[in-house]
Amino acid sequence: MTDQSVIITKSGERRSAQPMRQLTSSNRFIRWLKSLWGLNLLLGTISIGTILLFWEFAATLGIPGLKDVPPPSAVIAAANDLLVSPQYWNGWLLSFERIGIGFLLAQLVGIPLGLAMAMSRPTFGTIFPIIELLRPIPPVAWIPISIVFWPTREQSVIFIVFLGAFWIVLLNTIGGASNIDRVYKRAALSLGSQPRDLFWKIILPATIPSIVTGMAVGMGISWEMVVASEMIAGDTGLGYLLWQSFQIGAIAHVIVCMISIGIAGYLSSALIRAIGGFATPWLRLH
Amino acid sequence: MENTGALSIRNAGKIYDPEGIHVVAVDDVSLEIEAGEFFVLVGPSGCGKTTLLNVIAGFDQLTSGAINMDGTPLASPGKRLRPGPDRTVVFQQGALFPWKSVLWNITCGPVKQGRISVEAAKKQAREFLARVGLHGIEDQYPEALSGGQKRRVEIIRALMNDPTILLLDEPFRALDALTKSVVQEHLLELYDFSPKTVFFITHDLEEAIFLGDRVAIMTTRPGSIKKVVRVDIPRPRDHRILTSSRFLKLKAELGEAIHDEAQKAFEAGERELA
Repeated sequence: MTDQSVIITKSGERRSAQPMRQLTSSNRFIRWLKSLWGLNLLLGTISIGTILLFWEFAATLGIPGLKDVPPPSAVIAAANDLLVSPQYWNGWLLSFERIGIGFLLAQLVGIPLGLAMAMSRPTFGTIFPIIELLRPIPPVAWIPISIVFWPTREQSVIFIVFLGAFWIVLLNTIGGASNIDRVYKRAALSLGSQPRDLFWKIILPATIPSIVTGMAVGMGISWEMVVASEMIAGDTGLGYLLWQSFQIGAIAHVIVCMISIGIAGYLSSALIRAIGGFATPWLRLH
Repeated sequence: MENTGALSIRNAGKIYDPEGIHVVAVDDVSLEIEAGEFFVLVGPSGCGKTTLLNVIAGFDQLTSGAINMDGTPLASPGKRLRPGPDRTVVFQQGALFPWKSVLWNITCGPVKQGRISVEAAKKQAREFLARVGLHGIEDQYPEALSGGQKRRVEIIRALMNDPTILLLDEPFRALDALTKSVVQEHLLELYDFSPKTVFFITHDLEEAIFLGDRVAIMTTRPGSIKKVVRVDIPRPRDHRILTSSRFLKLKAELGEAIHDEAQKAFEAGERELA
């Protein structure tokens, strides 16, 4: 076999036969790093440094409001304290566990239900009114009734997390699955697919990008819900630790908890992005 | 009876009836398309040519008349045959599955039907791709390709499916003139390589004469057949025939007929807007 690098077509047109250069995720990451390097890094360091310095000396300067907030040095001290505490790490573990279970349940119920509603009019007609009735109620408002309903506090917290992610993934799945261009279904049938194949071949892959968007938004809401419900109903977790620290007046510990929750939320979003990218490799081109 | 792709359209009619307003999309169309023929239907936008193609493909049904393929009834009023791999469609707006690679897109039809093994399909796909200068794009996703590349891949996907009749619905509409002329030659090359009955729809007269064995002119709505002309230019053809006297004569002859229809369509559009 000869390795042709240029193909000359009948019309005499020369055409490069090299595959197009692909923008891989690793060299995109390097470009991103390079764009950060230099001026942006310098400006960022200066602005964050200024805020930290200002905050550190706010009490000394007697700035109203800020003088009761512990300075960064106190927060670092509190962090040193918390980072060696098993209760703190246990809080991470339990909050993540609740997020994991509640979020996963929301996907397991929301995605199939959304697909069923998009594909069957009677299902949509039956279930949509219930959804429109319940959806406007903020998940936090469900906390008291959830405590009454579920046998354990743990279950009520998981239920609230579930609600936080459920509506958005359900609506995104319905939206994605009902807006698929019919030309794909027609093409599949015209290539020999049976109507029963369309679900796996067309409907599901075409809906995945919408599902991933729903998951990304849902994950953010899940963290809000886990913190709120741990504060109210929990006796463990990062949200509970934050509230407990507040109640004993350990404000520096509160700030450490805030930052920890921020980091946890960021890590969860990164995980969802990674899963989303893995599930939709064809969208990485954009 | 052997499936050779002879298509017989008899008194085909299609009336849409949205909210009681009768819209006659196709009006008493009769055509006999021979097995292995490259048949082109030309008409102004909105004349019902896509409706006719959709009926043949099984996406729509007739309100009168009948369509037979190789003597077997394909469509008649109230009866709609399922879309199937014997009548593969190449769509105007493009329908490569964006979530699958080029190679998967091309091989999915025959592999799905269990006609050939995955390996044999891949080998055949690479041969087809190389023939139209698309060597080495197998593992790309369709979105990474240019418009002209996508059209060639989609035509190859349809040919790999080995349909009895290939239905092309204005496949080159969105391409620029230069890309279009290259892709048209590629289509002819593929047709000569793998001949089968082709039903091609366009509103571009030059394209019709360049590609077709016979060209039919469809009137503006309600769409009926105005004229059918045989293109007696030998194959294989390339872009040089575009300036041959035979080509220009056919173009002049058909051009007058199509221009009248375009004028009527334009005036009808003006009336609807007024």
